Amino acid sequence: MAYVRVDSAVQYFAREAGDDMLVLGKVSFDAKENGMTCLLGPSGCGKSTLLNVISGLEALDQGRVEIVSDKSDGAHVPRIGYVFQDPRLLNWKRVEGNMTFALKGMRVPESQWEGRIREYLTLVDLIEFRQQYPLYLSGGMRQRVGLARALVIEPEVLLMDEPFSKLDQLTARKLREDTLSICTRLKQTALLVTHDVEEGAFMGDRIIVFSARPARVIEIIDNPLEPSQRDLDDHGFIEFKKKLLKLVLHTAP
Amino acid sequence: MPAKAGIQARSAFEIRLQRMTDQGKSLSVQEKSYSALDLESTPIAKPKPGLAKQALIDFGLRAGSIFTLVLIWWILSLFFPPTLVPKPSDTFAEVATIVSTGNFFSEMGSTLRRVLVGFGLAMIVSIPLGILMGTLRSLESFFEPPVILGLTMPGLIWAVLMIMFFGLNETSAYAAVAITIMPMLAISIWQGTKSIDKDLIDMSKIFHASPWSKVIDVILPQLISHILAAIRYGLGLAWKVVVVVEMFGLSNGVGYQVVRGFNVFSMKAVLAWTIGFLVVMVIIEFGIIGWLERAVTRWRPRVEAWRR
Repeated sequence: MAYVRVDSAVQYFAREAGDDMLVLGKVSFDAKENGMTCLLGPSGCGKSTLLNVISGLEALDQGRVEIVSDKSDGAHVPRIGYVFQDPRLLNWKRVEGNMTFALKGMRVPESQWEGRIREYLTLVDLIEFRQQYPLYLSGGMRQRVGLARALVIEPEVLLMDEPFSKLDQLTARKLREDTLSICTRLKQTALLVTHDVEEGAFMGDRIIVFSARPARVIEIIDNPLEPSQRDLDDHGFIEFKKKLLKLVLHTAP
Repeated sequence: MPAKAGIQARSAFEIRLQRMTDQGKSLSVQEKSYSALDLESTPIAKPKPGLAKQALIDFGLRAGSIFTLVLIWWILSLFFPPTLVPKPSDTFAEVATIVSTGNFFSEMGSTLRRVLVGFGLAMIVSIPLGILMGTLRSLESFFEPPVILGLTMPGLIWAVLMIMFFGLNETSAYAAVAITIMPMLAISIWQGTKSIDKDLIDMSKIFHASPWSKVIDVILPQLISHILAAIRYGLGLAWKVVVVVEMFGLSNGVGYQVVRGFNVFSMKAVLAWTIGFLVVMVIIEFGIIGWLERAVTRWRPRVEAWRR
């Protein structure tokens, strides 16, 4: 499938005063191929900037980001799916219209649209709401639409920017479980930005721990537990979470 | 009253509690039955008058308002000679005459056509101009002075200028309408464009939306409520301007007919044409534009709860 390699990424944030602020300080890591990589670090450390750089919304000042897929032949632009913190749906389009918007943008042949919309809406458990307008759905359901929209283009890389942080605890927990199981089943290469240690330990096959701004990689840890073994109340999981928490607390300003 | 119901429930519960304790049952079970009992006796939703009833009241109030206006008019007509304030009944009879002869529709049609053509011209210029001004800072600076100046220019003066320039013909009517509402339309779309959600633009970049799709799917839907508000306000201006042009320089249209009534000093004719004109305007305002507004905002749940 595909993997992401970030190599000595340096990024400044331009300020009006002229003294540019360093956001990314030589960040290097390999994301897990066909798995979930969590970018874990304190709030405001520059994780979202990193995601914007990987998605191509922002250009790097130094260093490079490589997205290598088996289709890479120079001309191929990698397909990137993005799940935002707010769902960022087109509220004036029905659920299926939001999916079509992404399919049309990514130049997916029209003959495949119906099948794909059906497949991915079923996957996120929203198939019976395909004709609904987003504002008539709950926050959790809207975020599911966001996930389905990102998956429907069958991305080589799925990027998620704190997608559960604005949901209530129970909804977030259920959606985390569902997202993990969907991504595991699809063998989806995915990057998830989070400041929540438990979320990182639960979701990440690989966890990249960042320092406070400017973001530097403190540690890269592979999760000792398989996705199916991760249980919030399990002793092994709690131990791993504690280990991560220690690392993150150590980095906090 | 819920409070009273609560008290009743409590006393009923106490009786049952007594009975249960007598039978030697545990308290924890009784606590559960208490809360269930309390919920049952409290209505979940506050009772509200039905929607149909509310609509009927609203309709009655509107009808009453119009009736009051006609009543005031009728009272005035008792104190003034009919050449100054004709009776409402005579005036409505005159309306019936101009409508039944078909005269009204052809004259109104001419006026409507002038407004619509002028409006269309203004939209073609103002929508792209407003979007560009909201997007590009250089164009904003360049076009801001003429747009603001244009907004302060009275429509009457545009009407005079256009008649002098184009002569006594349709073109001057189209041009006067278009040029009067252009600045207002442009300003409202310019401001609307500036308030567009940048996050959605980023989203559309992520999914590689084409420029066309960005405009049609992302930008225009966010502008639609601004455009509709501008159309509402613009129509009000357009009617005024077109009537002035017709008064000055054309030989048909509602404005011309009003002037004809003025020339023979027939208050009845002036009022009859005005009333017919107002009715058509109201139908367009509330009927067509109101319907359009509901159609394009179907995706937005109605928020009515806070209103009294």
